[in-house]
Amino acid sequence: MWGSGILKGFAITMRNMFRGPITVMYPEQKLTLPERARWAVAPRYDAEGRPKCTACLICVNECPDHVLNLEVSKSEDGAKHIDRYVYEVGACMMCGLCVEACPFDAIEMSHEYELATRDHGDLVRVLLRDVDAASTRRAKGGDDA
Amino acid sequence: MTDDPKMAWAITAEGSQFPGPLPCGLRCIPRGVDELATEHLVLNMGPQHPSTHGVLHILVELDGEEVIAAEASLGYLHRGIEKLAESRRYHQVPTLLDRADYVSGLHTETAWALAVEQLAGIEVPGKASWLRALLMELNRYASHLVWLGTFGMDAGAMAPFLYIMRDREMLLDVIEAITGSRMMFNYVRPGGVVADLPAGVDAKIRAWLEVADTYLSENDALLGGNEIFRMRMKGTGVIDRATALAFGMTGGCLRATGVDYDLRRDVPYCAYPELDFEVPLGVRGDNMDRYDVRVGEMRQCIRLIRQLVDGMPEGEFSGKRSRVLKVPAGESYAAVESPRGELGIHLISDGGLTPYRMRLRSPAYFNLAVVDEALAGGLIADAIVTLGSLDIVLGEIDR
Amino acid sequence: MSALGILGRFAAMLVLLLVNGVVLIYMLRKVLGRLHLRIGPNRVGPFGLLQTTNDVIKLLTKEDLRPDSADAWLFNIAPYLIFVPSFMAYIPLVFGPTLAVTNLDTGLLLAFALTSLVPLGVLMAGWSSNSKWSLIGGMRAAGLQIAYEVPLLLSALGPVMMAGSLDPARIVAAQSGVWLGFIPRWFVIPQILAFVVYAIASQAETQQTPFDMSEAESELITGFANEYGGMRFGFMYLAEFSNTFIVSAIGTMLFFGGWQLPWVATPAWLAPFVFIAKTYTGIFVMMWARGSLPRFRVDQMLSFCWKVLIPVSLAWVVVWACVQRLWPVVAMAVSR
Repeated sequence: MWGSGILKGFAITMRNMFRGPITVMYPEQKLTLPERARWAVAPRYDAEGRPKCTACLICVNECPDHVLNLEVSKSEDGAKHIDRYVYEVGACMMCGLCVEACPFDAIEMSHEYELATRDHGDLVRVLLRDVDAASTRRAKGGDDA
Repeated sequence: MTDDPKMAWAITAEGSQFPGPLPCGLRCIPRGVDELATEHLVLNMGPQHPSTHGVLHILVELDGEEVIAAEASLGYLHRGIEKLAESRRYHQVPTLLDRADYVSGLHTETAWALAVEQLAGIEVPGKASWLRALLMELNRYASHLVWLGTFGMDAGAMAPFLYIMRDREMLLDVIEAITGSRMMFNYVRPGGVVADLPAGVDAKIRAWLEVADTYLSENDALLGGNEIFRMRMKGTGVIDRATALAFGMTGGCLRATGVDYDLRRDVPYCAYPELDFEVPLGVRGDNMDRYDVRVGEMRQCIRLIRQLVDGMPEGEFSGKRSRVLKVPAGESYAAVESPRGELGIHLISDGGLTPYRMRLRSPAYFNLAVVDEALAGGLIADAIVTLGSLDIVLGEIDR
Repeated sequence: MSALGILGRFAAMLVLLLVNGVVLIYMLRKVLGRLHLRIGPNRVGPFGLLQTTNDVIKLLTKEDLRPDSADAWLFNIAPYLIFVPSFMAYIPLVFGPTLAVTNLDTGLLLAFALTSLVPLGVLMAGWSSNSKWSLIGGMRAAGLQIAYEVPLLLSALGPVMMAGSLDPARIVAAQSGVWLGFIPRWFVIPQILAFVVYAIASQAETQQTPFDMSEAESELITGFANEYGGMRFGFMYLAEFSNTFIVSAIGTMLFFGGWQLPWVATPAWLAPFVFIAKTYTGIFVMMWARGSLPRFRVDQMLSFCWKVLIPVSLAWVVVWACVQRLWPVVAMAVSR
């Protein structure tokens, strides 16, 4: 009969009304991210809290958007020192290629997803500053060799 | 032309100054009308308009409410993806392709992977093929959901859209758990896929399968079961078989005209030869047929996902995936059946680290080309729903 | 009636209209939200109650923009032409046995006459904005509202015939008591067909989905109100909600016994609350339809009106007139 579909539609919307809202009240409630969720890149640290980065530059070469930059200084004996590890989060597309490529497991895709800032400058982050590369520490006879 | 009953009237009314076919609903020219001077109205629909599904600009020429001619103007979302791909290594290109068809990125990724594998002669483990097929089907369902919701919105129904977003949310949760992202997956690479199914995702998919049928039937009842909706869709936006073939349309839009062509069955790839599914077909090629074909496809999707989850083989999820893949010089073309139609990648390599040329055959581009023909003769309201029924994604059209 | 009395009534009408507007906008948002599995406004004030008042403040403080090429005079006056009739249509509403702005013998006629002025303002707004979208929207609105006036009026004739009066107070009074000892004497029971026509036509008259093609969001963005901003837009919005209230209130008076409770006598102090409750139930159903249905196409809607609604309601008027004339004769013959 003409109109039965319309009445059925009324019944369905009413049924959904009683199912209750599915809204997640965002700032107060938050969903848990799955394990593999990819958000801002973050450095990883070893048990003593020192960065695992060896300044091999693979991530820098791997990034399709060139958002990673490592400023490395080398002493005469070949020891590497990380001056700055700069990450431009505003231009990052969170593809995860850098993390996949890192042979030392020194960076990760963190679960930090609230990336909005009030200052444009905050979108360029310095992940590491003025630390010895992990490879240098090993060469110097560090305990993590 | 004279086969058109409206047109026949305009011709038999000798001496009439009435321009072109008669407006909708009129059987003859009312007395005095041909003395009235009327003017056509040219309307710029878009690029900012709620129903052009992105930044599409359509110029429509109106006679009152009736569309006399329409012309699509493209390119507002051009990002040069094909050119950019020439400076990316083979495993980096999927990050671009996700952004071409942003509603069903996994199909584009898979097409790319197939094209590269074909040229480089890479063998893919069986499980990778199954994972690709599973992810593509999940993604196809999510994409069809977006289409269904926005199509309902075009027709003025708000509620189904929000119900559909609830269903899509469940699917995207599954896809996010597997690939790590909700839209920009970067999951399928030449050689295999990035990761295996994580623990617990199987239960998630099964939980979704439990409710998928019910929810789909509800949404279908709200739209396709509604008489108002059927009244509007039947007989509007007709694209006949010859036109569809001439314009190179593929996917649901072509199948709605009755052409039985589905790459999943006709040019099998990934795990599809081992799966059992049907290809829904339409008859008249109007909006209602396109609707029915896509909703039918969604039901087949549920069936396919069930098979894929049940029959997922054991083994390696990926072969060797190299970061510095060297592909021998030559050409290859691989296509997948994306939610919109035949999505093909034409790859030319000169043997270097990056592709020499990559060309994306985007199905929505070909499907959109027909708007000039399909919109003319209908009303503005028909134009909106016809455009919606084509299921266009501007990211893929403009690339 | 003293000048003070007139002023007092005028103020009461205005307060009622504004309060109604605020409440109805909040209600629409909440009802649609729930129908859509959402929550609706929930941030401003408890349960988002202050959302609408804040929106009104926003509209009031916004810059009053007018397109350079618009017809200034018509553009400025159109919102008031839409607003004033729907404000005046509160005059014939009967809120209780003694509670009405004024008692008119032809109150119903006045209400319908006033609501039929609205298309004029809509057409003016659409025309004067000098925007193609507005023009199409205005034309659609005018065509539809004029068309749907007819079945709206015809469907009201059944109850009018039953009560034998155009005075809303008498129509309501005629619906007191019961039939056969247990059915409330509401006119909706014999006049169910007229009520269905009335419900459809009133939904079209207030331009709500599925009849909202004059402001069809997906086609014409917002139709005739496209170029309006600030409080001018606010007036149009307010008039829309006021119209919703009025058609629902008239429907309550015509078909559902107005301010009277079924079966029991209604105390005078309770009457307005009963009336408002019934009216709001009607509005809820209208909102429910708004949340559930897709939109008609403009030509289908017009042909539906002229080819289905008007013949049906006309036929019903004739049928009912015959029934009412013949019933006493038949009853007499049977009793003899």
